[in-house]
Amino acid sequence: MTVIEIDGLRKSYKTHEAVRGVSLKVEKGEIFGIAGPNGAGKTTVVECATGLRRPDGGTLRVLGLDPRSDRRALLQRVGVQLQEAALPDAIKVEEALRMYASFYDKPADWRELMDEWGLADRRRAGFASLSGGWKQRLFIALALVGDPEVVFLDELTTGLDPSARRTTWGLIRAMRERGVTVVLVTHFMDEAEALCDRIAIIDEGRVAAEGTPSRLIIEGRSDSLENAYFALTGKEMA
Amino acid sequence: MRGLRQVTAVELKLIMRDPMSAFFALAFPALMLAVKMRSGRPLPGGLPAIDATVPMLSVFVIGLAGLVVLPATLAQYRERRVLKRLRATPASSTMLFGSQWIAHMLLAVLGTALLIVIGLAFFGLAAPANPGGVVLAWVLGALSLSSIGLLLGALVPSGRGATVIGLSLFFPMVFLSGAMIPRETMSGSMRAIGDLTPMAPAVQAIRDGWAGDATSPLTLGVMVAISVIAGGVAVKAFRW
Ligand SMILES: Nc1ncnc2c1ncn2[C@@H]1O[C@H](COP(=O)(O)OP(=O)(O)O)[C@@H](O)[C@H]1O
Ligand SMILES: [Mg+2]
Repeated sequence: MTVIEIDGLRKSYKTHEAVRGVSLKVEKGEIFGIAGPNGAGKTTVVECATGLRRPDGGTLRVLGLDPRSDRRALLQRVGVQLQEAALPDAIKVEEALRMYASFYDKPADWRELMDEWGLADRRRAGFASLSGGWKQRLFIALALVGDPEVVFLDELTTGLDPSARRTTWGLIRAMRERGVTVVLVTHFMDEAEALCDRIAIIDEGRVAAEGTPSRLIIEGRSDSLENAYFALTGKEMA
Repeated sequence: MRGLRQVTAVELKLIMRDPMSAFFALAFPALMLAVKMRSGRPLPGGLPAIDATVPMLSVFVIGLAGLVVLPATLAQYRERRVLKRLRATPASSTMLFGSQWIAHMLLAVLGTALLIVIGLAFFGLAAPANPGGVVLAWVLGALSLSSIGLLLGALVPSGRGATVIGLSLFFPMVFLSGAMIPRETMSGSMRAIGDLTPMAPAVQAIRDGWAGDATSPLTLGVMVAISVIAGGVAVKAFRW
């Protein structure tokens, strides 16, 4: 079953064309990667798909809904972790979870989520006092608190140390086990290779290549997705 | 409704956890009341100082909550992308802004209640002659000043900027409008300037209600007009 269908999406900021005709389909229950360098347009795609930005052209359907005109109905069923987002410094972990749970008609049990993501010991810690890894866990828990069918995770592991990154990978796989469809946005090719069932590589606002990690590696005649990325996009290694 | 209650409760806690807003909205006016009452001679005309000072300082509290803390909160939330994260939930914008407004007005209610309790307990504050009039004047004062605050919060991009602009509106207004210095003891020219500030009608109306004097409909009308115009522009201009 197709959960997300994007066709010919275009979006410009003033004169800069950030997304120039992106089309992709995400199937239910998979981890779908949107990979590509910084500035490729990945975040813009996510923000259009979650109704935060109005596209200039193209059509988007998420769970059969239009992200702009059915925004609130859609957001009842979709969880989001944004690349650029924060909580108030003084809010406590449990306050944030309880408050966000109150926005949904049928929320998950936020106390269970807090336990499951290891946040229970830090329930009374203020947001500003959390380290990067714990902030990310809280953001994941907040993305899941509405008991969503689809979750968008934008640059979840940027700024994490290697061990926190590995832990987070495990947590993302655990989401798929629960039947949640995950859209994972990342500029780390090793992360996309390790986690994703299918990947779209986006470069300069276009889909440069799409497929399973192994298929992209074969297409790029490479030994890793990272090398395949350079081969497929014709980019030089810095 | 659940959302409204939750966000309001959390926001009020966050305000109280910020030492600056809690101090300036609660402790500072209470201290000012105590200091003023040490030398509290009756005002020209014979009104006991306490019966003027508590209503006056309640406008100080409203102004601080509505004109300084509210816009600083909103602008900071925009700058730090707190609003953006909220935007990615099904919460309605009416609910979110309603809760913000209510939380900041509850801060002003707490500050006002503290002044009244201190006034009653230590300085023989008289009960308001027209309690309904006081409540109406207080609510209209809160609406009008916080709608200006909302407009600031809608337009100023950074939390620091909103604090600076909020304070630079707030301080001249509290000095000139009679919220800190009784109007009776101000010079005619100061009073004339003060009357042009949007804080003056609030001071006037709350004091009138407390003393049992009739409030001119014009004074109340000015507050309604400020609320509608500033609030309307703020809602139109607001960016997430
Ligand atoms: N709000 C904005 N205003 C102007 N330009 C923007 C804005 N957001 C993104 N851009 C530009 O659009 C391009 C794509 O950005 P983005 O979607 O964030 O890419 P990515 O997430 O792949 O790094 C970049 O060149 C970026 O500078
Ligand atoms: Mg991005």
